[in-house]
Amino acid sequence: MAALGRLTMQQREQTDTSEDRPGSSRELTGCVFDIQRFSIHDGPGIRTTVFLKGCPLRCAWCHNPEGMTSAQTISYSPEKCIACGECVRICEHHAHRLEERGNGSGVVHAYDRQRCEACGRCTTHCDARALEAVGRTLTVEDVMKEVRQDKVFYETSGGGLSVSGGEPLAQLDFTSALLSAAGHEGIHRCVETSGFASSSRILSLLPVVDLFLFDFKETDTRRHAEFTGQPNHLILSNLRALHDAGANLQLQCPIIPGFNDREDHIDGIAALALSLPNLIGVQLLPYHPLGKSKMDRFGLSAAANLPNEPLPKARLEFWIHCLQKRGVHVLSNNLSAPR
Amino acid sequence: MQSVTISGKVTYAERLAALREAKQRQTLEKQQIRGAMDFDDHAVILPPEEIRETVQTLGGSGVYFTDVIMSTFKPTPNHPSGGFFGPRSVGENFRKLLEAHPVYIDPMSSLAGAYMVNFMSYRTVAWNPDIDCADLLAEHAKYQTIPAIGGVQHMCQDMEMGLKLGWGGILEKIHRYPPLNAASEDFYAGLEHVVLGIQNLIARHAVAARAMATDDEPMRQNLLEMAEINEYLVSNPPRTFREACQWILWYQSVARMYNSSGSLGRLDMLLLPYYEADTRAGKLTDEEAIFHIACHLVRDTAYIQLGGPDASGKEATNRVSFLVLEAAHRLRIPANTGVCVGKATDPRLLRRSVEVLLEDRTGVPKFLGVDNTVGGFTANGFPVELARERVYAGCHWLAIPGREYALMDIVKLNFAAIFEVAFRDMMSDTTGKPSVAELWRRFRGHMRAAIDTVAKGFDFQYDNMHKVFPELVLDLLCQGTIEKGLDASNGGVEFYTFCVDGAALATAADSFAAVEERIEKQGRMTWQELLAHLDADWSGPGGMRARVMMKNSPRFGNGGSLGDEWAVRIAQTFSETVKEKPTPRGFMMIPGLFSWVLNLSMGKNVGATPNGRRAGDAISHGANPDPGFRRDGAPTALAVAVAAVQPKYGNTSPLQIDLDPGSANSPGDIDRVSALIRGHFDLGGTQININVMNKAQILEAHKDPSKFPDLVVRVTGFSAYFASLSPEMRQFVVDRIVSEN
Repeated sequence: MAALGRLTMQQREQTDTSEDRPGSSRELTGCVFDIQRFSIHDGPGIRTTVFLKGCPLRCAWCHNPEGMTSAQTISYSPEKCIACGECVRICEHHAHRLEERGNGSGVVHAYDRQRCEACGRCTTHCDARALEAVGRTLTVEDVMKEVRQDKVFYETSGGGLSVSGGEPLAQLDFTSALLSAAGHEGIHRCVETSGFASSSRILSLLPVVDLFLFDFKETDTRRHAEFTGQPNHLILSNLRALHDAGANLQLQCPIIPGFNDREDHIDGIAALALSLPNLIGVQLLPYHPLGKSKMDRFGLSAAANLPNEPLPKARLEFWIHCLQKRGVHVLSNNLSAPR
Repeated sequence: MQSVTISGKVTYAERLAALREAKQRQTLEKQQIRGAMDFDDHAVILPPEEIRETVQTLGGSGVYFTDVIMSTFKPTPNHPSGGFFGPRSVGENFRKLLEAHPVYIDPMSSLAGAYMVNFMSYRTVAWNPDIDCADLLAEHAKYQTIPAIGGVQHMCQDMEMGLKLGWGGILEKIHRYPPLNAASEDFYAGLEHVVLGIQNLIARHAVAARAMATDDEPMRQNLLEMAEINEYLVSNPPRTFREACQWILWYQSVARMYNSSGSLGRLDMLLLPYYEADTRAGKLTDEEAIFHIACHLVRDTAYIQLGGPDASGKEATNRVSFLVLEAAHRLRIPANTGVCVGKATDPRLLRRSVEVLLEDRTGVPKFLGVDNTVGGFTANGFPVELARERVYAGCHWLAIPGREYALMDIVKLNFAAIFEVAFRDMMSDTTGKPSVAELWRRFRGHMRAAIDTVAKGFDFQYDNMHKVFPELVLDLLCQGTIEKGLDASNGGVEFYTFCVDGAALATAADSFAAVEERIEKQGRMTWQELLAHLDADWSGPGGMRARVMMKNSPRFGNGGSLGDEWAVRIAQTFSETVKEKPTPRGFMMIPGLFSWVLNLSMGKNVGATPNGRRAGDAISHGANPDPGFRRDGAPTALAVAVAAVQPKYGNTSPLQIDLDPGSANSPGDIDRVSALIRGHFDLGGTQININVMNKAQILEAHKDPSKFPDLVVRVTGFSAYFASLSPEMRQFVVDRIVSEN
C-alpha cells in the first residue's frame, strides 16, 4: 500500500473548500459540554479543547461520562446545594423534593433521577449551580470567541484548538465548520476521535484537521466490544484509510488496569504502530479514576471492576519501555495527566 | 559558630549542605520563638539566647509581628515621648546597635556575618508626636487607604557606587561636603555614625575570624582568608569576586537591619567585572563563584534582577546570570531572584529559569516583563535609556538605583472600601434613584478623593519623614544625597515618582458585575434587598441564596464577561486618575496593582460586598481574578485577564499563577510554561510569580507544616517557608492552589 506523504497545514488550507459548503457557516450550532483552556494533554503546545456531546461508544473507563449521550444531561453536586427549594418549586416532573434531616437539623434536597426528564428548568433556577445542564447549544462563532482568547499562547507554544468529546464525528457538520473557522484564523487543529464512524465521514475531515489523535483501546475484538460497546473493525479500517490519505496521526492508547493492561494488547499496539510507517507516534494514557468520581454527579454507576487508584507509574514506564524496544516511537507523557 | 570534624578537604557541596542544614535549624528556631511571619523571611537569625528579648513591632512594610531584639542595646531617646528622631540621633543609635551586634561566623561559609536584629523594633515611638498628621491619617482612613506617611526604603541603592568607593571612600565623601546648614550638619553626623558603626562591625568579624583560625581548625585556611578580606574591606573597595560578594553582603545586612531594605539590583552586572578579572587570572572557577553567591543568598533573601537591557539597550545577560541561578537552584531556599524576559533577552536564560522553577518548586525565580516595564516608564515622559536603568529590587517593584525615591509597594488604595463608601453613599441619598451608572459615578468620585488624599500624604512624607527616620543607609549609596546634604526622602535624589497601588480589583469588578447582572439586567434583586443582605452579612432571610446568586454572576477572569469589562474599566480609570495630576507639590505618581500580603488585613474592616464576599473576609489578591472564576481555573485565562488590566506606566501588576504540572521538568512542561510566560508578556504583562505546587502536597503540608520544613512557596511578591506562615496565610495560599487546579 502506498505510503503517502503527510499533508502540511498549507496544503490543507488549499484543499479546504468547506467555507463554500452548506453547514460551514459560523452560525451552525452544536452541543458542547465543556470548553477547557490551557489543555496540555490534547495535542501539542497549549490548547483549548472543545468537548462535544454524544458518542457511539460506551467505554467502561470513560473520563467524560457526561459526553456519552447527545441529549442534555443534568449534573448534580450536592455539596453546593443550599436547599433553597427553588428546583422543587419549578420542576413539573416532581423530581426534586426537600426532606427533613434525620437529626432534625433542617432540610436536605433529594433528587429523583427516575422522575427526571432532563428538561433543564431546574438548572436555570439553581443559583448555587448545584444543578447544572450539561450540554449547551452553541454556534461556531460562540465557540471561536472563547478559542480566540488564547491565540497568543497557541503562537508561543505551537498549540491550538482540539475538538474532543464525546465523539466529534457524531456532530460532523459542526466539527467540520468549527475546524474550518479555526483554520481560517491560522489556528492549529487537532481532533481526538474514537474512529467509530463511516469512513466517508472521517475522511471528510482531512482538509480541516492538522493532527488526528486517534484512540486505540483494545486489540482483541471480543474484548473491544465488551469494554467499549462496539467492535474494532471499522475503527481499524478508518485508521488505515486516514494514514494512507496522508493524515498526521498519533495513536492514543488508554491503559486501564483490569481491562487492557495486558502484554498481548501492548503487542497489538506495537504491531499496529509498526504497520503505519507515517504514524507520528504512540501516546500511552495512564488510567486515572477521575471519571469514576464524576459518575455520581450524572447519576451513573461506574463499572464495578474499575480501579480506585491510577495506573502505577512503574507499570506505565514498563509498557513504554516494551514498546520502545520494539522500535515504536512513544511520545512523552505527563505522568499524572488525567484523561 | 560550629565546629566540624572532617578529614581531608571539604568540598563546596559539603559546605553548602552544612550551610543549608544550619539555616534549617535557624529557621525552625525562629518559627518556634517568633511564631508566624507572613512576609519575606529576610534571612535574619536570632541573637544568642542569653541576650534575647521578645517584642511586638511594626515591620518595614506596615505589618505587626513578633520580633526578637538584643537586650544588650537600648536606644537613647531624644524626645520626651521616649522616641529618637532625626538623623543625628538615629545615626548615633544605629551605630551603637551595630557596635553591640554579635559576631557571626560560620566556618563553612566563605563570607562573614549574619544579621540578627531589626532596628525598627527599637523604635517604640514610630512617629514624632510633635509633627501632627492626625487629620491627614483620618482622611486616609475614610477609604482605608494605606498611607505613605512613615514609609521606609522601598527604593534601590546604587551598589556599584559602593563597590567603587568602599567604606573608606564613602566616609571620605561624607567629610568632603561641608554642611550647608544646621539640619544638614545633623544629616552628615548621622551618616558618619552609620559608616563608623559598619566599619566597627566588619573589623570585629575580621578579628574573630583570625582568632578562630587555630592550628587544629579544619577550615583554618578559609577563616584566614575571611579575616584578611574583612580587614581589607573595613576601608577599601573590593578587589576580587569573593570580596565583592562580602562587601555586598555587609551592605545588605546593614540595610536590612536598619529598616528591612532588601533591594540589591543587578547582581549579574555588578559582579561581572570581578568575575571576568578573576577567571582571566585563573583565580576563580565557576564552582567557587557559585559557592560565594550561594553564601550570600543564605544570609540575605535579596531582590535580584538577572538579564535585561543595559541603558544603551544592549542585552546584559552574562555568565554570572546563570551562576546566580545555579546558586539559588542548589540552595532551594526562599530567594527573590527575578529574570528578565524580553524580545532581546537571551532565550537560554528563560529556558534555564523555567527548568529551575519546575525542578525546585520554590517559586524561584520570578519573571520580569522588561519590554513592557521599560516602555511603560517612558509613557511618563522619561527617556528610554533611563527606563532601562530601572531595576527589579523588591516584591513587585522597580527603581533606578541611587536616583529614584518611589516608595514602591507602600501606598495601597482599597477598591473594596471605596466601593463600600460609594454604595452606602448612594443608598443613603434619598434624593436620587440608585443605579449602576450612579454607583459608578460615585465610585469614580471617591476614588479621585482617595487619590487626592494619597497625594497630600506623599507631600507630607517628603517634607517630614527625614526629621523622623531618614534613609541613612540608602543615602550612603545614592547620587545627590551626600552632595546636597539631603535625605533621599527629602530632595536628595533626582527622581520622585510615587507609586500608588490599587488593591481589591476583582472584589470591586465582580461586585459591579453582580449588581449590573442581577439587579439591573435580570431584576432578580432590588437595591434595597441588596443593602439588607449586606447589612446582615448574608445571614438574613434568603441571604444564603442571594449570596450564591451574586457569587455566581459573571466573573473577572472568565474571558469576555461582564466582570472582565468592569475590571478593565476600573483599572483604566484608576490609572488615568492617578496620572491626571501630580501631587500638590508637583511630584509624579505612577499606578500599579498589587496588594502584597495585605489582602488579608485589608478585608478585615470592609463589610460584605455584592460579589458574595462576607464581611471581614480577605479582598482579592493583587491584580488576579478571585479564585473559582472559571471551572478550569486556566492559567491562560488568568494570564489574559491580568494582561488586560495593566496600568502601562512602568510599575507592575503581577500575575500570580499556581501550577501543578504533574511531572517536574519534562521537555513539554518547560516549553509550555515558557510559552505561558512569553504569551503573558506579549499581551502586555509586567511580572509573573509562579508557584509550582503539587496540590496533594500542599494539602498535606497544611495539615502539619512542621513535617515539611523545607517547603518553600511563593506567597505573593516573595518566597517564604510554608511552615513560617500564619494559618490564615497558609489557608489563603492553599485555597488559591486548590482552586486553580
